[in-house]
Amino acid sequence: MEQGIDLQSTFVDALMDLGVPLGSAKALWLPLPMFLILVSATVSIFVTVWLERKISAAAQQRIGPEYAGPLGSLQAVADGLKLIIKEDITPAKSDPLLFTLGPAIVVIPVFLSFLIVPFGQNLVITDLGIGIFLWISLSSITPIGLLMSGYSSNNKYSLLGGLRAAAQSISYEIPLALAVLAVVLMSNSLSTIDIVQQQSGYGILGWNVWRQPVGFMIFWIAALAEAERLPFDLPEAEEELVAGYQTEYSGMKFGLFFVGSYVNLVLSALLVAVLYLGGWDFLIPIELISRWTGISESTPWLQVITASLGVMMTLLKAYLLVFLAILLRWTVPRVRIDQLLDLGWKFLLPISLVNLLLTAALKLAFPIAFGG
Amino acid sequence: MLNFLKQVGDYAKGTAEAAKYIGQGLSVTFDHMRRRPVTVQYPYEKLIPSERFRGRIHFEFDKCISCEVCVRVCPINLPVVDWEFDKASKKKKLKHYSIDFGVCIFCGNCVEYCPTNCLSMTEEYELATYDRHELNYDSVALGRLPYKVTEDPMVTPLRELAYLPKGVMDPHDLPKNSRRAGKLPEEILAEIKPESK
Repeated sequence: MEQGIDLQSTFVDALMDLGVPLGSAKALWLPLPMFLILVSATVSIFVTVWLERKISAAAQQRIGPEYAGPLGSLQAVADGLKLIIKEDITPAKSDPLLFTLGPAIVVIPVFLSFLIVPFGQNLVITDLGIGIFLWISLSSITPIGLLMSGYSSNNKYSLLGGLRAAAQSISYEIPLALAVLAVVLMSNSLSTIDIVQQQSGYGILGWNVWRQPVGFMIFWIAALAEAERLPFDLPEAEEELVAGYQTEYSGMKFGLFFVGSYVNLVLSALLVAVLYLGGWDFLIPIELISRWTGISESTPWLQVITASLGVMMTLLKAYLLVFLAILLRWTVPRVRIDQLLDLGWKFLLPISLVNLLLTAALKLAFPIAFGG
Repeated sequence: MLNFLKQVGDYAKGTAEAAKYIGQGLSVTFDHMRRRPVTVQYPYEKLIPSERFRGRIHFEFDKCISCEVCVRVCPINLPVVDWEFDKASKKKKLKHYSIDFGVCIFCGNCVEYCPTNCLSMTEEYELATYDRHELNYDSVALGRLPYKVTEDPMVTPLRELAYLPKGVMDPHDLPKNSRRAGKLPEEILAEIKPESK
């Protein structure tokens, strides 16, 4: 397997040529990818909000935002500015510490999870050994923040919303982890890079969707529930709970929940793309193209094209899934809380267990096709 | 054992059915995406009010004979008719006339019953004001005619749903002189006349 472009070693080598010692060169490199990912995650909020509003409008035969920027693309910026300017209210008899801590605890793990999201062979902040399980463990911190903000708001709707969020997250985490486990079983690694590597080589045919169709569905449903997207947005069901745990929030604290939910949606979509849709992998394997055209894979310009194509493919797959999530939002009615828990515990959990066992059996029976 | 297998089979069938319905729903919402928005972008586009539209009432001061029929037929006796008996001509002379459109329900009874046809309905519906007392129109304000939507260069006039050709839902970009569905009243009259002869 070709290594492709390694920006880190190029950067470190260039600095060392200038006389910077190895340690400081590496330290200088460290903040760059972090900053880049932070910025792109923030930009993804604007993109997703714009997509959400435009696609929602199209599904309802409306026009949607139009005047803020070209085609209304700056609508989210306008909304964010408004939230920043708004007064930050802490309700009477609330717990001010928990009330402030809540939104932060909701948002931070979501951004932290971008540590392990790969956009290319070397385009990842860290290739951790526990990889995908870092995300699963981080995503289970979020309900604590939700519970905190619900509990500290001194409002019954907030409390109920927070409790529902916790119940929902706990019940959907298990099928989620089991679905991931089946993928991990096939790729013999928790690292997101290795998971994509194992899928690449055969183009679209090698993607995990074909080997894990049930796991894909379970993961997607559970990820929607984790991100509190519409069929599962019970914690903030406005008809029942005003706005759930967000009821008492205003200004940028409310904005943080907003940011958290949209980044979480993008993150879930990115991880589905990585786990099941071959990450940065193109529809046709790149090696095949280079063999046909007779251009060596190590040609610099081809490597640049391959790398940018990888980023494009990852984002394209992720946003295709975001589109699906938005379409689902206007198609499927919200489930009741008992239906939600039924679906989680009585349907997704047994199915994902069976899926895991089946994957293990298939791995023993056909080690070639299922990563023996 | 068999019972359990049957339960599992039923469950799987139910799941497949649910998935099918969700797929159908998705295809419906997806199909809606390619349809043009029905939005009328109000200050820039306006619907042409129908010919029977009951908007702000128009009043012709000189035609009025101060009979107060409009007051009697009004559900809340709204029109204010201020007249004085002119002894020289032995006629009632109208001094002031006003209708408060903040209270009017636009039922059109006054228009219906006015013996001299000095009241009529206009197609004006943009009556928003900062002060509700501004809605109390006097005879001068009542005598003004609204600006026609079709003649306003700032506004794109759009036809209402009933005035579109058959099967067309979208009033944007209609071909010129496209006909509304069904027959016009005068056409129906023209058809009836030869029959009655």
